[in-house]
Formats: sequence, structure tokens, C-alpha cells
Amino acid sequence: MIQFNYICSFFLIVLGFYTIVTKYNLVKTVIGMSIMDYGVNLLIISIGYNPGGTAPIFTAGELTRASYFVDPIPQALTLTSIVIGACVTAMSMSLVIRMHETYGTLDTREIRRLRG
Amino acid sequence: MNFANMTDYHHFPIYAIMVLFLGAFIIAASGGKPSKNPNNPAGFRAWIALIATAASLCFLAALIKPVMLDGEVIAYWMGSRGISGGYAIGIALEVDALSLFFALLIATAVFVSAIYSIRYMVHDDCVPQYYVLYCLLAGGVLGLVLSGDIFNMFVMVEILTFAAVALTAFRTKVYGALEAAFKYLVVGCMGSTAILTGVILLYAQYHTLNLAQLASLIPGTMNNATKLAFAFLYIGFSTKAFIVPFHPLAADAHGAAPASISVLISGVLTKSGIYGIMRLTYFLFQTMGLGRMQFMLVFIGSVSMFVCVTMALAQHDFKRLLAYHSISQIGYVLAAVGLASALGVSAGLYHAMNHTLFKGLLFLAAGAVLHETGTTDLGKLGGLSKKMPHTTVLFLIGAFSISGVPPFNGFASKWMIYQASYQKAVDTGNIGFLLVTIIALVTSTLTLASFVKVSQSVFFGQLPKEYENVKEVPFGMRLAMGILAALCVVTGLFPKSVTALLTEPAAKAAANVGNYITSMGFKTSLPAVEVSFVEAGVWEPINWLLILCIALLGVTIVAVAGKYDHVSETTSENVETKYQLFYGGEENVYSQVGGGDLFWGFKHNWRHYFDFMHKLHSGVVNDYALWAVVALALAIVYMMIAL
Amino acid sequence: MTASIFLNGLQYLGYILIFPGFLFCFLCGMLLTGIDRKLVARMQKRVGPPILQPFYDFFKLCGKETIVPAAASRTTFLMAPLVGLAALVVIQLFIPIRGFSAFSGMADIIVILYLLLIPALAAILGAAASGSPYAGVGLSREMVTIIACELPLVLVLLAIARTVGSAMGTGLCFSLSEIARYQVENGSLITKLSMIPAAVAFAMVIPGETGSHPFDTAEAETEICEGMHAEYSGAPLAVFKLSHAVKVLTMTSLFVALFFGGVGTGITAVDGVIVFALCVAATALFISFVHAVTARLKIEQVFKYYWTVVSGLALVSLVLAWYGL
Repeated sequence: MIQFNYICSFFLIVLGFYTIVTKYNLVKTVIGMSIMDYGVNLLIISIGYNPGGTAPIFTAGELTRASYFVDPIPQALTLTSIVIGACVTAMSMSLVIRMHETYGTLDTREIRRLRG
Repeated sequence: MNFANMTDYHHFPIYAIMVLFLGAFIIAASGGKPSKNPNNPAGFRAWIALIATAASLCFLAALIKPVMLDGEVIAYWMGSRGISGGYAIGIALEVDALSLFFALLIATAVFVSAIYSIRYMVHDDCVPQYYVLYCLLAGGVLGLVLSGDIFNMFVMVEILTFAAVALTAFRTKVYGALEAAFKYLVVGCMGSTAILTGVILLYAQYHTLNLAQLASLIPGTMNNATKLAFAFLYIGFSTKAFIVPFHPLAADAHGAAPASISVLISGVLTKSGIYGIMRLTYFLFQTMGLGRMQFMLVFIGSVSMFVCVTMALAQHDFKRLLAYHSISQIGYVLAAVGLASALGVSAGLYHAMNHTLFKGLLFLAAGAVLHETGTTDLGKLGGLSKKMPHTTVLFLIGAFSISGVPPFNGFASKWMIYQASYQKAVDTGNIGFLLVTIIALVTSTLTLASFVKVSQSVFFGQLPKEYENVKEVPFGMRLAMGILAALCVVTGLFPKSVTALLTEPAAKAAANVGNYITSMGFKTSLPAVEVSFVEAGVWEPINWLLILCIALLGVTIVAVAGKYDHVSETTSENVETKYQLFYGGEENVYSQVGGGDLFWGFKHNWRHYFDFMHKLHSGVVNDYALWAVVALALAIVYMMIAL
Repeated sequence: MTASIFLNGLQYLGYILIFPGFLFCFLCGMLLTGIDRKLVARMQKRVGPPILQPFYDFFKLCGKETIVPAAASRTTFLMAPLVGLAALVVIQLFIPIRGFSAFSGMADIIVILYLLLIPALAAILGAAASGSPYAGVGLSREMVTIIACELPLVLVLLAIARTVGSAMGTGLCFSLSEIARYQVENGSLITKLSMIPAAVAFAMVIPGETGSHPFDTAEAETEICEGMHAEYSGAPLAVFKLSHAVKVLTMTSLFVALFFGGVGTGITAVDGVIVFALCVAATALFISFVHAVTARLKIEQVFKYYWTVVSGLALVSLVLAWYGL
């Protein structure tokens, strides 16, 4: 059933892309970026998953060849990725607030002083 | 740990990265209150940033001998956790000549820009925070190029994107700074996500994140998932290099950021993208032997160079114009690297180096103009050469370099690119590569045209009334520009030494992937490759310069002896009529030929193209995001078919 | 040892100052423009100035007062003509005269293409430094003309590189001395079928590069008052006139060296005379005749003409050369 996770994660990534491309509200753009991030996080965590595996927490003596656990590296990667995702959201929201102050609108079609 | 061990040069790469992050940490920890000195509001923090960047540069320079000349590949496991059971379990730094080449470029640009920042950032608020972000950005890029671990590359990409976005938005009151930062953040974030996805897909296939191990495992075992990963990674690094179709972001970001940061974005960030693409194609996937892969890189490079130079011709803002040129030059680099011949790679890297130097110089000159006049609008400026003679000379050196006028460095590297592409065309019998030579040559002329436009509308022509009291910039800023200008001249005059010392070792490293893998302790069947650099043409800049100097001396002596300038000009207000400009009998009024009106004959013939491009670069973030998605989709389809 | 270095140095100094350097450039260039003016006049049924008129003009201008406009950037304004002239003379040193070449193995055809930009650039910067709006318009047009000429020139040079390279077995060859050697062994390049369109294209580029009719939009006396030279007077103007004359010589002798090279007599002086005679013929055909029968084009027409007709011809040549004809 792990395939379902993969499909879901790519669905989320594409949904994120879709949101960024089609929504003209800055806040929705930020939401789209977050959705994209969640999709990737789901993908990472799914890749490290072994059906029936235990948590990858052992002391040196307990670890044997027969130990069966989920891959710990993707979990560590996910943590990093979540932190980065949170930073992106925080940063983009702060930019959105300043842009709303400057431009008085959240519509991306009107925030286009730089073009050509 | 004893001292002798610490000074072992194998530790230097990590020191080079650490001093920058440490600098960022110390500056951040020292609080954000500006000091009282009006000439340096950041106080000692500016010096910390300067020392950190200088130390970083020194550590890397110390590696030139072992890595560049002796050909050693430094494999460094953090915390001495290396390989266990055939798998890399530690985090690695791996420094081969290619990494070191880019690292040196980056460290130089960062150091020079730090010198410039001290006086340039005087009028800004939040300067302490600026230096924190500055060191973070520098550390991020350096970490990216020295890393031997693909996930760490992703982390560094995120750090540098963050710092770059924050620094782009730094001058919130500058026209469009927030907007530029937001656009950059959205598309940059899509790029980073693409990189992460690619990394994860590779991990799922090969259960390792170490670059050398991936390089030993991937070739020969390519499946659809790896191809997908390749497409994602490629697009991710493309957004960092700002190549087509991500060029509008570069224009926005460079234009809005402070000049010292524009130097980093154009000279350093784009290089990190190029480095990423080279690592991917030459090392990880080893696809550069395939004609289709070469075609892709060369095609995108050529499109970048041409589209961006025409976009630059249509700009009327100094920094935006420079930004588009930046990507145009990156197009040269990508096209040359994509040729996958020894000379091509060497030429591409040479041009990458020159691009950092001359582009840095030009952005600093633009910053100097902005610093003194408060604008970069080509339509408002003019005649500054009388007020800022040193800046003018330095700008002209940069302009000649980028336009490939002999004997400056831009010509030396472009000249190699022409040869490499034509040689490739002859060797493969493919007339497409010939087209690259032609596009490169024509682009070079168009570049010259737009710098003629800048010099006419900023430095020459007539001085507007409001800039009568403009002064030359402070010495600190001129020093930074002077260093870059000197490097531009030196690297142009001694092309043989530069290639032998820097670019040829790097090109050899790109050809010898096996060495990269075995140095890290992994097995590979890739043989060592001998590469030779054959040039078809001749160019002896030193001799030429010598002859020119003799000739010039001769002419000047004759001219001075003939009382060439025996009449002095009058500069007072009530000048005689004969010292006024000729207006065909009309009244003498201010009439500068504006930047937008130059080259009408060219623009008129291409008006449909320019209209189309103007409409295309709409400035709406959704459009740029759409380009990114389409590029990703195309890349995926192309990889699936071509590999 | 020291004596031989000294003699060598003297020899090279002689090359630079006398032949094929300054003195040669000065005399032949001026003579070429004089012949050109006379020929145009005769074709237009005028008497025309004496052939030595350019010399008289030059020396007279040198005696006139030099006026630097108050709005100009003095150093750039005065240095530009000198740099341009020196750069042009140096190019002339690299162009082989039959078998003789003063400095071989130092620059090749693509480098020459770029070195040719320097005099144009010097003129442009000098014009920009004068601050005159006429000069502004003039330099804009000059730059467009350079862009226009660049594409056909590039194509021609690439075609030559391919033709010579495939015959020499190196694939491609940019070196001027190699091209000269090829022509000594295999006869002039013009005799190759693939080179004929290239020669025609190059001939059409000559008036554009030297800024004569119908491509003299950048100077256009009647509308923008000499354009780039509007503010120049006295000796600097004389140097510009001289530069123009040398440029005529450079372009025509480059044309001769590229397409009409061949076996020399071995005596440099005789070769020089032969090459000069060919240069005169080229000037008469491609500059004077064209001047006499055409009217000035508009700048966008110049651009269009070069990027369609002339580039088309050059492209034909390149494709022919590519497939070994």
C-alpha cells in the first residue's frame, strides 16, 4: 500500500504547483508553497518506511543483523525539510505583509512593477 | 587534538566554511544596535565579516598547490565517520579541482564585496543584520561547492536562497525590492523543492547520499526513477543558475538588491547553479557523453545568451541591464561546458571566472553611481565621467571585459569558447554547434552595444543640472573595484597561465570522474582519462599590448610635439560660444540622447520580437511559476526520452 | 648577443614605424582616399580634388586650433583618436602582404575581427565624451552599423576557416599566416567555388566598415553634421581622418590577403606594390563605384540589408564550405 503514499505525495506536489500557478492571491501562493512542501515530506517519510519495522532506536548492544526497523535517515531529512518549510512560510508571509503595506493589494496581477 | 594536526591542509575546506558561519554567528550574537560612527554604522561587525571572508579566501588559496597543481582530491569525513559496510555513513566534504575552482571564485567575490560593503552600506539601516545574512550567504555557497554529500548540497541551497531572498528585500523602500524578493522566493522555493525531490528519489534507489558513492552506483543502472530524479535536480539547479526560463527572477533580484549583494547573486549564486549542473551531468549521472545531453545544455546555453542579451538591450535601468547580461554570460558558460570537450570545459570555466570578475566590477560601478546620485535610471543620468573619473575608468574596464574587447579577460575566454564550439562542430560534423559559434559571436557584439549605451547615457554625454555636485566615491569602494579591475586585466593578459593554473586542472577533474570516486574510498571501473587542450587559433595578448603601447607612444609623442591639445578648454559658466556644443544654430539646451533612443535602427528591425518578449516577461509571479512548471515537465519528458 | 637583440628590436621598431606600420599606413591610406575622391568625382562628371588632397587636408587640420567643448570629458575626448589610430596600425601589422608578415603567429582572423572593434569603439567613446547630441545620434548609428557588419563578417571568416582547415587537414584554421600559406600552395581562395559568395559578401562589408556611401549613416553630413565628429576640430579631427584612411587600407588589404593571396615575388617592396595595386582596385570597385551610384540608406535599412542579403550570401558560402565544395 506504500504506492498510495507515493501517489498522494506527488498529488500534493502537483497540487502545490497548481495553486502557485493559478491563484492570484499572495496568501494562496504561500499556501501552495506549503502544500508542495508537505508533499515532499510525505514522499521522504514514505521512502524510509519498512512495513512492520520498529522505531530505529537501539543501543549498541541491541543492534543485530536481524533488527528490522524503518530507515532513520529519511526521518532526519524530513525534520530538516520541515524546519526549512516553516522558515519559507514565515519569510514569505513577512514579505506578503510588507507588500500589502506597500502596494495595498494582495493580487499578484497588480504587483508587477518589475517587468519586461 | 594537537596543533600540528589542526594545521593539516586537509582540514582547510571545513575551516573555510566554518569561519563564515562563525562570523555570521558572532555578528548575530553581538546584537543589532548600529554603532555611532556615521562612516561605519556596523562598527566592528563589518570588520568581522571582512576578516571572516579574508580567512576563508586564505584557507582556499592554501589548497591551490595540493589540489590544483598536484591533483590531489581531498576527501574529508566530518567527525571521522567514514564508510561502513560499503556505505557512506558520515557526512563528507570532497574537494577536487572543480570544487576548489568554484570555491576560489566565490571566496574572491565575497571578499571584494565585503570591502565594498563597508562604505557602501553607510546610509542603510539594519546594517548589522546585513552582515549576518552576508556571511550566511557566503557560507552557504561555499558549503554547496565543497560538499561531498547531496543532501548537504540541498541544505546549503536553502541557506543561500534564504539569505539571498532576505538580502534582495533588504532595502524595502527600493522600488520593487519586496516584489522581486517574493518572486525569487516562490520560484526559488520551487527549485529547492525540486532538488529535494530529486535527492530523495536517488536515496530511494541507492540508499546513499554521498556524491562519490552515487557516482559509482548510478551509471549503468539508470531507470525511470533515476531519470525523474535527474530532471528534478537539473531544474532545481537551473533555478539557482537563473538560466532560461528563470532569467526574469535574476533581473528582478539583481536590480533590487544592494550592489554588493548583486555581485554575489550574479557572480556567486549563478556559479553555484552551474556547479550543481556540472556535478550532476559530469559526475553523478555521467551523461555528458551522450549527444542528446550535450544538445540540451548547449541549446539552453545558447538560448540564454541570446534571449538575455536582447532583453538587456531593451532595459532602461542600469542594474536590470547588468542582470540580464549576467545571465547572457552564464549562457556562454553553460554552452561551453555542455560541449563536453576538454577545451570547452576549460573555456567555460575560464569564462565563469571572468564573469565573476567583470560582472562584480560592473555591479560595483553601478552601485557607486547609485550611491552618489541615488538613481540607476539610464534616462536620468549622464556626463558623470567629469565628476567620477575613477569610477568611469573602472567601469570601462569592466565593460570592455564583458564585451570581449581584446586584451581584457572576456575576450580570452570567449575566444576559447568560439574555438571550442567550432572545433566541436568540425569533429562531430554537426552544423548545430556551428550555430553556437555564430550566436556567441553576435551576442558578444550586442553586449558591446548595450555597454556603449550605458557609457553614453551614464558616464558620457551631458551632465544633468541636479548632479552638478556629485563627488567621486570613497576610497574603500574604489579599492574594491580596483582589485576586480586589476584581476580583469591580469587574467586577460595571461590566458595561458590562468588556464594552466586554474581551469585546466578543473577541466581534467571533470573528465576524471573515476578519480573522484576512488579518492572517497569507493570502487569504480572508470579508467583514468588523459585530456589535451588543443587550440585552433593564436592570440598573444602580451605581445599585442607591447606593440600597441609602442604604437600609442609613437602617436602620442608626435601628437604632443605637434601641440595636439595646445588650447585649454574653459569651464566657467560664461564660456565663449566656441566652447559650447554645436546645436546647428538652435538654442543651447540640455539634450542628452537617452538610453532608450539609442540603437533605434536595430530595435526597429526587431520590433516584433521585442514586443513579444516584453509581453512575455509580464512580471506576474504566476507566469514565472508556470514557466518553472513547464520547464520541469519538459525536462522530465526529455530525460525519459533522451537518456 | 646584446647586439642581435638590439638589431631585432630595431627591426621590429622599423616594422611598427615604417613598413608595414605607420609610414606605410599613412602614405597608402591617404593615397587610397585621394584616389577614391578623384574617382568618385570623375564618375559624377566633376573634376574633383587632386589626388594628394587628403595630405593637404591633414596638414592643414593639424595647424588649426583644437577646441575642446566645455561639456566634454577632456581626456577621453583627446585620447580617443590616438588610441583608435594606434590600434588600427597594429592590425595592419598582422595582415600578411603576400608571403611577408611582420608579426606572424600573434593574432588570427577572429582576433582581427575583434581588434577591428577597438578603433570603432575609440571613435564611439570619443564621440560620447564630447557630449554633443549629434554625436549621440552618430554613435548610436555607428554601433548599429557595427552590429550589422558583424554577422556577415563572422560568417565569412568561419567559412574561410573551414575551407582552409579542411584542406590543411586540421579541420579548421583561424591563423592568418596559415591562410596565406594555403594560398601560396593552392592558389587564391577566390578560385574556390564556395569562396565566391564569401568574397562578394566581404566586399559588401567594406563600405559598411569604413563608413562610406551608402552606409555612411553614422556620419551623414547633411542630417547630423558629421555625427560622431561633430565636436572635433584641429589635430584630433586630422587623426580621425587619418584613421578613416588607414581603415580603408586595412579593410581592402584584409580583403586582398584573404581572397587574393598567392605566390609573392619574394621581394617585399614589389609585393607591397602589388598588394597596394590590388587595394586600389578593391577601393575603386567597392568604395568609389558604390559611392558614386548609390544614395545614403536609412540606418534600419542598413541593418536589414546586412542581416539579410549580405549575411545570406555569406551563409551560402559557409554551407558550401561545410560540405567541402
